[in-house]
Amino acid sequence: MLRDRRFRNTVLTLAGLGLLMFLLYLVENSGSIKLGEVAALFAIWGIAAVSLNLINGVTGILSLGHHGFMLVGGYVTALLILPQDTRELISRSARSQMNEFTLGLNLQDWFTAVGLDWLASPEALGVRFVVALFLGGLLAALFGIIVGFPSLRLRGDYLAIVTFAFGEAIRLLASTPLLGSFTNGALGFAGVPSQFGKSVWWTFGLLAVTVFVMSRLKFSSYGRALQGIREDEVAAEAMGVNTSYHKVLAFAISAFFAGVAGGLWVSWVGTARLDLFLFTLTFYFLVAISLGGTGSVTGVLLGTALVVFVRQYGDPLEQSYALSTWLAVAGLLLLALALGAFAYRSLQRLRPAWHPVLYPLAFAGIAVVAVALLGADLNALERRWQGFGMRAILLSVLLIVIMIFRPSGVLGRSEFSWAWLFGERKDVPTEEERAQDAWLSNAELNERADDPDPAAHPLLERGKKPKEQ
Amino acid sequence: MPWLVAAVLIALVVWRMAYLHQVNPAFDVAFFGGAFLRSFQLGSLYALIALGYTMVYGIIRLINFAHGEVFMVGAFVAYFIFSRTPYTWPWAVLVSVLVAVGFMYVLGFWRGRLTDPLVLTGGALAFLASTLALRSAEYGWFWALVSSMFVTGVVGVLIDKVAYRPLRGAPRNSMLITAIAVSFFLQNFGILAFTNRQTPFRPDSFWTGFLQFNVPGGTLFTTWMVVLVPLVTAVLVIALTLFVTRTRLGRAMRATAQDAETAQMMGVNVDRVIATTFLLGSMLAAAAGVMWGMTFGSINQPAIFGILPGIKAFAAAVIGGIGSLPGAVIGGVLLGFMENFLTSLFPRTASFPGITEYKDTFAFLLLIVILLVKPSGIVGEDLSEKV
Repeated sequence: MLRDRRFRNTVLTLAGLGLLMFLLYLVENSGSIKLGEVAALFAIWGIAAVSLNLINGVTGILSLGHHGFMLVGGYVTALLILPQDTRELISRSARSQMNEFTLGLNLQDWFTAVGLDWLASPEALGVRFVVALFLGGLLAALFGIIVGFPSLRLRGDYLAIVTFAFGEAIRLLASTPLLGSFTNGALGFAGVPSQFGKSVWWTFGLLAVTVFVMSRLKFSSYGRALQGIREDEVAAEAMGVNTSYHKVLAFAISAFFAGVAGGLWVSWVGTARLDLFLFTLTFYFLVAISLGGTGSVTGVLLGTALVVFVRQYGDPLEQSYALSTWLAVAGLLLLALALGAFAYRSLQRLRPAWHPVLYPLAFAGIAVVAVALLGADLNALERRWQGFGMRAILLSVLLIVIMIFRPSGVLGRSEFSWAWLFGERKDVPTEEERAQDAWLSNAELNERADDPDPAAHPLLERGKKPKEQ
Repeated sequence: MPWLVAAVLIALVVWRMAYLHQVNPAFDVAFFGGAFLRSFQLGSLYALIALGYTMVYGIIRLINFAHGEVFMVGAFVAYFIFSRTPYTWPWAVLVSVLVAVGFMYVLGFWRGRLTDPLVLTGGALAFLASTLALRSAEYGWFWALVSSMFVTGVVGVLIDKVAYRPLRGAPRNSMLITAIAVSFFLQNFGILAFTNRQTPFRPDSFWTGFLQFNVPGGTLFTTWMVVLVPLVTAVLVIALTLFVTRTRLGRAMRATAQDAETAQMMGVNVDRVIATTFLLGSMLAAAAGVMWGMTFGSINQPAIFGILPGIKAFAAAVIGGIGSLPGAVIGGVLLGFMENFLTSLFPRTASFPGITEYKDTFAFLLLIVILLVKPSGIVGEDLSEKV
């Protein structure tokens, strides 16, 4: 039975899901707030990164406006589920810009108005949250369609800049008096119910939905069309793909899930503020995509895990240490760089193994370590120095290195699959298959196919036409 | 046709000014004159930054996302230099050594090697001038401007060398993502090095003092910066134009912008040309950074200081036609006018809330419109990708 691959994969997937749920249960009951936050943040950012991957990785359009879509979804969700008392508190504040119309944007009122009293009750907050997320996602999708239209005319960097401009324009416009009545200007809303964004069940449930949709989409005819656009737009068009429709569709779907992620993000933080939706968010997702694998859903999840890990557990990087400690670390890093390059070059049999570039590197490393060790008692080196921004520096250096050495990311475009772990080894081609390949790819052999003497070309044995009887 | 459009626009502006003056006498020549001068000043700053975008794009077709952060580095380096003037002797000598090395490095680009007599002489002179200038506070701003230009120029070349050069020939998306990563690196490095705080930027200078002159109907109050900024910009732009049109390296730059491969076959050292482009662009951005600080009296947190000017200047470059030097200047000045003069034409009145709050979005909206209507910009040639 287990020889049947489909059955084996289903069993393994279900077992994996069960294990994941058990782990989530453990996380929830571990009593560690940090662990729960890490899990929830991973799920929220995972949704956003996987959805950005649909445009950036699968369709091959570099879009940088994801934080704008998240803002739309986040604000709509926050507005729709804000409890009535919080709403009144906000609107009564002296600097508030909320008006009557915004006060009316309230799912509770709407449900009461159509007679669904149960849905307006405090117990049904979860249902309202889902409805609000959906509406937020829809509005974000509308924005996605608007942003998607320039993609029909523009390509490459121009398009990237336009999406960035849209993303920033959404944020800047939200702070102007025009939209201030909806967004309450720079103050935003405090008191958004935060039990959903912090709960691993809500966030991971929505992540599962997103991953399911995205992975099914990737291998559907739509996904093939999108990947065709990534590889060669003109060829895709020639093969009958309606590129405009597909590109705008990709933007709309991606923006929808970005809106959902925005709603969860707002709920995680507990407030909806403009400075939650800086370009930094898109940058983190970009790192996750580039790191894990452009176009690969599982790869993006891997990248997100790393980004969230660095963000949440990177505090030691930014704490204050004596200057000599920083110097020692920097010197050791330099040394490691030089020695690593030396090891790599020796393994690859590159000569000279000690490339001239490595000398100053190694000397600098030794010198800096020596200064740190010998001068640890010096007044100047004892001074403590805080490494603010170290995490982002680490991530950006990582991104640059990845872009230089492996632009397609760790997993590349391939997905994680059970065959990787439990499948057979990739078989070695037989002599016969090699001959066939050689025949197919060698034009010269092709030309000689008509040679009357078959013994002169043993490779052609399989390529010969069957004799006519 | 363009002349007709310009004439109609000017007529509309004049009509609007006359109307506003009729409604409220406070909107007089001094009001609009001040807005005009400030727009020109801001536009010059945008133009200086936009030149960097346009040159890099023209040569390697890369939108240098990190250019706004280079601008930030320029401003903070200048602050670092002038805020300590007058220096004590040891510091003056130490900083001067750094400045002289940077100067020699820059000069070495033109002469080919660092041991060239001209380069050595230049370095020695730069060392002397730097030591003297660091000992006196009078010309602190000027010395900060010049030395920050050199330091930032070297930073730009380093960025190219470390991050962009390994990616020559890589897909353009990879290069763009790397540029974003570099911009993040510089932002956070700025936080690390300068702390993320708004910093006062007030060198002791005649230029930051007040300037007033009589106009028909009143007195116009402003600072001398409205004179200095366009002046310095004009000098730098003329120097850049001369460099690009009159020198061998400038000719090589133009050849590389036309067709890098052919230029390489004709004996142009393309890597050196690209490094020069980054050098010049970063130097101009640094000059803009210093004058930005002097104009507004403070420089923002390193994390956000470069973003808005950077993206606006990029918008300016696109509006003018990216890849074209006059286009960048035209686009920058145009954007300055949109931000300052246009808002002065729709001021806050009793019945109208004004449009000042929206001025940051003008650049984005104009960018989007230009890209949708005429991606090649005002004076740019058609850059649509070949199939």
